[in-house]
This record gives sequence, C-alpha cells and structure tokens, in this order.
Amino acid sequence: MTIKDSGYRFVISALILLSLVSIYPLVYVLYLSLHRRLLIFDISRFVGLENYLFLLKDDRFWNALKNTVYFTVVSVSMELFLGLSIAMLLNRTFMFKGIVRALVLIPWAIPTVVSARMWEWMYNTDFGILNYMLGAKINWLGSPFWAMNAAIFMDVWKTTPFVAILLMAGLHVIPQDIYHAARVDGAENLAIFRKITLPLLKPVILVVLIFRTLDAFRVFDAVYVLTGGGPANTTETLSIYAYKTLFQTLQFGYGSALSVVIFLCIGSISIFYIRLLSRGIKQ
Amino acid sequence: MSLQRHLLPVLILPLFLPFISGCIQEKGRQEGKETVIIFKHGKIAGDPEPFRQLLDRFEKENPGIKVNDETLPASTDEQHQFYAINLEGRSSDFDVLSMDVIWVPEFARAGWLMDLGHLIQEGERDEFFPGPMHAVTYNEKIYAIPWYIDAGLLYYRKDILDKYGFLPPKIWDELVHQAKTITKNESDLYGFIWQGKQYEGLVCNVLEYFWSNGGDVIRGREIVVNSIENVTALRLMRDLIVTYAVTPPLVTTAIEEPTRHIFGNGRAIFMRNWPYAWNIFEREGSPVKGKVGISTLPSFPGKESASTLGGWQLGINRYSRHPDAAERLIRFLTSYEAQKTFALTIGYKPTRKSLYRDRDLMKEQPFITGLYDVFMKARPRPVTPYYMMVTQVMQPEFSAALSGIKTPEEALSSVQRQIEHIMGVAR
Amino acid sequence: MNPKFKVVGLYLLLALTILYCSGPLLWQFITSLKPDAEIVRIPPLLPQNTTVDHYVSIFKGHPFLRIILNSAVVAASTTLLSLIIGSLAAFGLARLNIRYKALILGFVLSVSMFPPIATVSPLYLIIRALGLRDTWWALIITYTTFSLPLAIWILTNFFREIPDEIYRAARVDGCSPFQAFYKIILPLSAPGVFATAVLVFIFSWNEFLFALTFTSTTASRTIPVGIALFPGLHEVPWGDIAAASVVVTIPLIVLIFAFQRRIIEGLTAGAVKG
Repeated sequence: MTIKDSGYRFVISALILLSLVSIYPLVYVLYLSLHRRLLIFDISRFVGLENYLFLLKDDRFWNALKNTVYFTVVSVSMELFLGLSIAMLLNRTFMFKGIVRALVLIPWAIPTVVSARMWEWMYNTDFGILNYMLGAKINWLGSPFWAMNAAIFMDVWKTTPFVAILLMAGLHVIPQDIYHAARVDGAENLAIFRKITLPLLKPVILVVLIFRTLDAFRVFDAVYVLTGGGPANTTETLSIYAYKTLFQTLQFGYGSALSVVIFLCIGSISIFYIRLLSRGIKQ
Repeated sequence: MSLQRHLLPVLILPLFLPFISGCIQEKGRQEGKETVIIFKHGKIAGDPEPFRQLLDRFEKENPGIKVNDETLPASTDEQHQFYAINLEGRSSDFDVLSMDVIWVPEFARAGWLMDLGHLIQEGERDEFFPGPMHAVTYNEKIYAIPWYIDAGLLYYRKDILDKYGFLPPKIWDELVHQAKTITKNESDLYGFIWQGKQYEGLVCNVLEYFWSNGGDVIRGREIVVNSIENVTALRLMRDLIVTYAVTPPLVTTAIEEPTRHIFGNGRAIFMRNWPYAWNIFEREGSPVKGKVGISTLPSFPGKESASTLGGWQLGINRYSRHPDAAERLIRFLTSYEAQKTFALTIGYKPTRKSLYRDRDLMKEQPFITGLYDVFMKARPRPVTPYYMMVTQVMQPEFSAALSGIKTPEEALSSVQRQIEHIMGVAR
Repeated sequence: MNPKFKVVGLYLLLALTILYCSGPLLWQFITSLKPDAEIVRIPPLLPQNTTVDHYVSIFKGHPFLRIILNSAVVAASTTLLSLIIGSLAAFGLARLNIRYKALILGFVLSVSMFPPIATVSPLYLIIRALGLRDTWWALIITYTTFSLPLAIWILTNFFREIPDEIYRAARVDGCSPFQAFYKIILPLSAPGVFATAVLVFIFSWNEFLFALTFTSTTASRTIPVGIALFPGLHEVPWGDIAAASVVVTIPLIVLIFAFQRRIIEGLTAGAVKG
C-alpha cells in the first residue's frame, strides 16, 4: 500500500514567513540595481542593465571576485577536511565526550566581532602570541601574501565547528550494524570509510558545502575587521566592495548590482553542488 | 484535527507579536506633555555618568524637553552605515546626530541636514577653530556645529631626546636623523611609528606629509593630487620604512591603538597619534608617565607643518519632528560652559578657542595649552560632498605605495585619474 | 597495532583538537586577568598580577546583564520558532506529497543568498513600518527567517534518511501524518534536530549587522552590539573586551553541554525501547 499524504499544510507557515520577510527586500535590491542612484549627485533614474555592464569593465570588481573565489575555495575545502577529521575523531568512544564536544564548538560560539579582534590581536607583529610562539616577525596582516591567508586561517578556525557538528550528527544516524557487517566481511578501515561512511554522509556533506560556500562567498566582517580590505585591496572581497559602495560612498544602485551578482554566483554554485551530489546518490 | 490544534498557535503567534511590542512602544513615547528628543552619538569613552549629568543639566534648564541619548559604536564605519540606512529611509527616529568631520558636506548635499546658520552669529564664528568651521560649511551655509576637536600630533620621548641632546624635530629629515642616531645605540627601540593600515586613518597620515610639503588633493575646483610635492611626500613615507628603516613594517597594518601600545610600553621614540593618547600615558602605572612630550608634526624644509583635523560635529536630522528643541540641545552642548564640563570630565577637546585660556581647564590639563597651536593649524580633509568616494580611491592606492606594490608616481597618477573621473561625473 | 598505543593516540589527538579550538579563548581568558599595563607585553605569557578589574568594570559601567538577557531571549525564541516551522516544512518536503519540491527548496535556499548588507536597508523599512524598531521581535522575526533555510535543508536531509517503511507503518497503525511526524520521525532524527538547534542558536547569538541596525537602546541590544560599544573614540579597552567575551561564551558552552547530554540520553532510551 502506498500512502500519499498531502504536505502543503506543513510547508505553508515556512513559506509565508519567508515570503513576508524576504520578498520585499529581494525585489527592492533588484529594482535598485537597475537604477543609477547617487544621492550626493542628486541622481536617481532608471538605467536598465548599465550597472551590470559597468561591472564588466570594473577592475576593482574583478579583483574582488578573484579574492572572493580564492577565499571561498581554500577556506571551504580546509574546513571540510578538518571538520570531517574532527567529526570522525569525536565519533569514537572516549571519556568526557559531552565536554569535549562542547569545547570543540567554542570558536563558533564566539561572536565574529570578538573573534576577529581577538585574531587581530594574536596576529600583531610586535606583541601577538603567534609571532611569539613561532619566534618570528611575520607581518601577518600587512604583507599582500599573508593577509588573505591570515584571514582564511581565522575563518577556518571559526567555522570548522559548524562543519564538525553537522557531520557528527550525520555519523550518529548511520546504523552501527552496517559497520559491524562490513567488519565481519573483513573490510579495511579505509575501504569502510570510502564505501560506507562517505556515501552515507553525502547528503549532510552537501548541506555543509552549500551553507559554508554561501557564507564564505559573502564573507564580510571576518576580513573587514582584520584588514579592512588592505593592503592595497588585496583582501577586498565582493561583500566588502559592496559594503563600501553602499554605505560609504552611498552608491545604492551600483552596490545593489554587486549584491545581485553575489547572489547569482552563489546560486550557480549551489545548483552545481546539488547536481554533482544528486548524481552521486543515484548511482 | 490534532494537526490544526498544534499548528494553529504556530501560525497565529507571529501575528500577535507586533501588537505586544506596539504596547511597549506606546509606553516609551508617551511621557506626559514633554517633548522627547533623541540624540544619537558615538560611544563616549569611559564612564557614561558625567555625560548623562550634562544632559540632566540641559533638561533642568529647559523644562518640557527630555533628551534620550542613544549610543552607537565608536567605529565611524558603523555610524556612517547606520545614518545612511536611517536617513535614506527618511527616518525621524532621532533628532540630533553627531557626525565625523568628513561627513557634513556629504549629508548636507544628500539633503539630510537642516541649515543651522542662525545658531552661530557672524561674530561668533571666530570663537571656533577655523578648521572645523570650514568643514561644516557647504555652499556657504552652516550645516552643523563643531562639538569636539581632534588633530594629529607628534608624541616624543622627552627623556630620550634629552639624553642625546636633541630638541623635538621641526623637519622630517631631523626626525629621521634623530631616530637613526638613537636606534643605533638602543636597538630594542622603534624610531617612528604611525598608522598605515588601509583605512581612513591612513589618509589622515598621508595628508599631513602632503600638506607639510605644500601639496594638496583638491584646490578650489582643481585636482592637484598628482604633484611633485606629493610624490616626494609619499616617497618619504615609504623611505621611512625601507630606506631609513626608522619605521617598522608593522605600521602598514597599524591603526591608532597598536601604535599607542608600543609607544606606551616605552618601545618607540616618536609616534604620530591623536590627543587621546596623552591622558592614557599619564595614568598611574604607565611606563612612560612623565616622559612624553608633544609637538606639531614636522614639515619639509621651508614649509608649514600641518596636521589633519578630526573631531565630531552636531547636526539636526532634516526629518526631525522637534527641530526647535533639537536646536536648543545643540546650542547648549556647544556652549562655553558645556564644552568646559565635557573637557574636564571626559577629556574631549573643546572647539571654542577661548577655552584654551580657561583657568580651571589649564589647571586640570596643563597640556591643553600646547594643543592650541596644533588645532589652529589643523586642516580638514578635502571639504566636498564626494569625500567618501575620494577617500575610497586614495586608501588602496596609498596602501599600495606603502607596501611597495606601486611606486608613489604610479599610485598618485592613478588617484588623480580616478578623482577626475568622480568629479567629471559630478559636473 | 597495539590497542594501548591506539588509545593513547586517540587521547593525544583529542587534546590537540581541544587545544586548537579553545586555545584562543584560553588566551582571551588569560588576557582578561591581566592588568592593562601587562596586556600588551609578551613575554611573559601568564599574568604577573592577576586582577578581576575587567570583570567588575563590564558589569559596573554597562547594563551588561540586560544585554545578555536580550541575547538569550532572542536566540532561544529564534531557535524554537525555526525548529517548529522548519521541521514541519522539512517533514512535508521529505516525506509527503508536494509538487515542485525542488523549486520550493530552491526558493528557501535563495533567501539566504543575498548578502545581508544589501537587504538590511529594505528590511529596516519593514521593521519600522511594523513599529518593531528596538524590540526583541524585530530580531526574532529576522533571524527566524534567515535561519529557516539552514534548518529546513538540514532537517529535510535527516528526515529523508529514515526508511519510508517506518512512516508507512505508523500511518497504518492509525497515526495522523502529524502524529507520525512528532512521535516517530522527529525522535529518530534527534541528532539532526540538535545540530540544527545549536547552529541556529549560535547564529542568532552572534549576528551583528541586523542587531546594530534594528536596535537602539539597551531595551533590545544584543551581545555583539554590546561588545562593539566598549571601544571609545580611539581607545580600545582590550581587557574589558576579553572579559566580556569570556563571560558570554561560558554560558553557551554550559548550555550546549547540558542539552547534548539530554538529547543523547533520550536517544539511547528510545533505541532500547524500540
């Protein structure tokens, strides 16, 4: 017998709330992005796609895009790797499991405003603990090479718990008998990981990837507090550029166009992930 | 059935929320027949109590007006963002707002401020320092009243300079020479530290070098940033780090506080910073207590020393419902007496010149007399509604020049081109 | 491999993980105990003259308790609302008959794809029009909306993992779809629900941009804004900030520890019964 209960009643409250709160802002941003709106020039008029065309020849935009992609790719892959390792480690049996799990969550629990400042402090060339422990004098946030990587290290530290806790939950619901069966069949650890753990974790990994990418691509305060986009815009991400355009120079139209582009980038990445992983699941 | 029973509260709950909070709002707004004005300002350092007492005094002198002061984070970016969102949305949620010195023309041009010309009579204008008065004037109208003032200073270690028989340097070469001589013997000291992170403070620093070599960014309607004077000035800054090695590379990430900490720990001979650092150096337990001197910043030979003007101004939100009460508050806060109290209790520097000869103030804060010259010479950054765009152009280019990514020539010619483009759009 | 050696290795790795994750907070804690003059000196690492001044001063000069209360109320309400609304929606999407599921999931996800800096202005207009400025509800509604995508996506994936037979069996036994949901499906996905709750809670606990824009007094200010209010014009009181961040992090750790034990206990109990 098949049961086909209708599910609309269940989704409706979520959809109502999402539409009420988000549709107006989204439409508003789209509308603005088609306008040239510069209060201080007393300009506010419809320009169609002009803002988007200008983006194409805006070097600063391409630089920011490059920085954002670098940040996203490096930080998300490091987070996934570290998060998975921690999740597997914590999934074993040991004492004080609860406390350890809570401790692992610490970085995620510290407000970004604070953790960025905290790292700024630790990165300090002169009295930062990092240089003290390394016995070096690295100008972490001042050299074009280190600045972006320093921001990535901080982000990885901060958000790995997010990845770890989700994967931990994912590991937890995998029935233990599957592992027992595999062991009885004489499978190696690595083989168990590749043939059982990874495929069963795939849906959770998908969620992790989507949400981490979504956040990393929009990264703002983590980098902004540390470097302000410097030195010489080498750490300026798309969100920082959009922020400066919107709230510092008050170019509401162009800033909105930048935001729409961020939205489109994330949208296409998400679709790519979903395609990739749903293909994997069907096989 | 059970579905409806459980779902219903969930669906209905959000609908009630506005009503519940509506009641809370009503309570806050209706306080008899009083006019309540809201005063938005950045975080005031230290204990909030003295400032509240000042406002209480205003309320006592002006029965029927109540002032609610609402604090914003001290970060200027966050304040600018807050005002942009609110004023763009034509919010009348606040009446009086405090503004960084660089925002007034911009806010005025956007139509967000009331004309306050009538608050300062023609003769009274000379009461205030010229720099801030210039900065609050746009199209010959006054849009804000200077509240407190800030300007770049040279801090130096009196004890060390004395030991080597040096006087505070008047020109940059002298500073380099002194710093080099001293650091040769005392290798754990930095020569000269300043603020070079890519942010607004970097522009403040760079402009002081430009001006002290006779350069500028905008003169009248002309863009003069790509000049030989400015190239020399910017090259000197890079040379301080690389060629003369009196400035550690860490300044390229430094804002005010890290430099203040280094100097405050006795690890540097010279520092460029704002007046706020003085009080901290003189606190009990400070390693440099009594060993610090201040002076105007050095200049290039034969040129005028200059320092960048900072500080905050009070204006009235164009959409305010109580402009009269708001005017009274501004008049009160910028008065001689209120500024004096403010300087005595919190230490912010008054914008009225005569206060620098005030006996009580001189007794409490003797170093204030030394600041008079600095504030008289303090110059506002380019006074134009497009300043925020101009600074967005300058920050990364200056940063590139300091970290050696571009030569000073390349950076400045790029700045010139970009500002010309902005101004071209403006015309 | 020697099993004893393996155990030692496990604990060594655990210690390393804990150090990596909590090291910076530990450093914060040490910093918060140092007097101002010592904070910017290194070496020594440890405070010479331990002081609790910073802890006294964060509670003295600032309405810090009220701010913590605001954060707790906002974060708890957001978590509750998101879990209720989100799990219902996720159940519908994972188990029940709905057309255009992919489209709905896509819409839900797209809500959190715009950078918040772009949506904050229009949202502010809505909040003001509703008269919610400077109230808890302004933040609760916004946070619930922006954490729903995460909640729905995680929970949908966890609900999908549960074999269809279980749901069908429950229906045959006479459960309504809703009863099957909260009696059978929800308990079975407890780890997923717990993970979601923690993530949503911490997201609302930490959010800064909306909190800065929608709140203006201590009536509704949350912790991140409260901490951003510590610095003065140029001066940053680092010891106070360190103390404040330790104070706001500890309850979080305790909370997570307490809740996670209960959830795991509940889970094992359920498994034994089943």
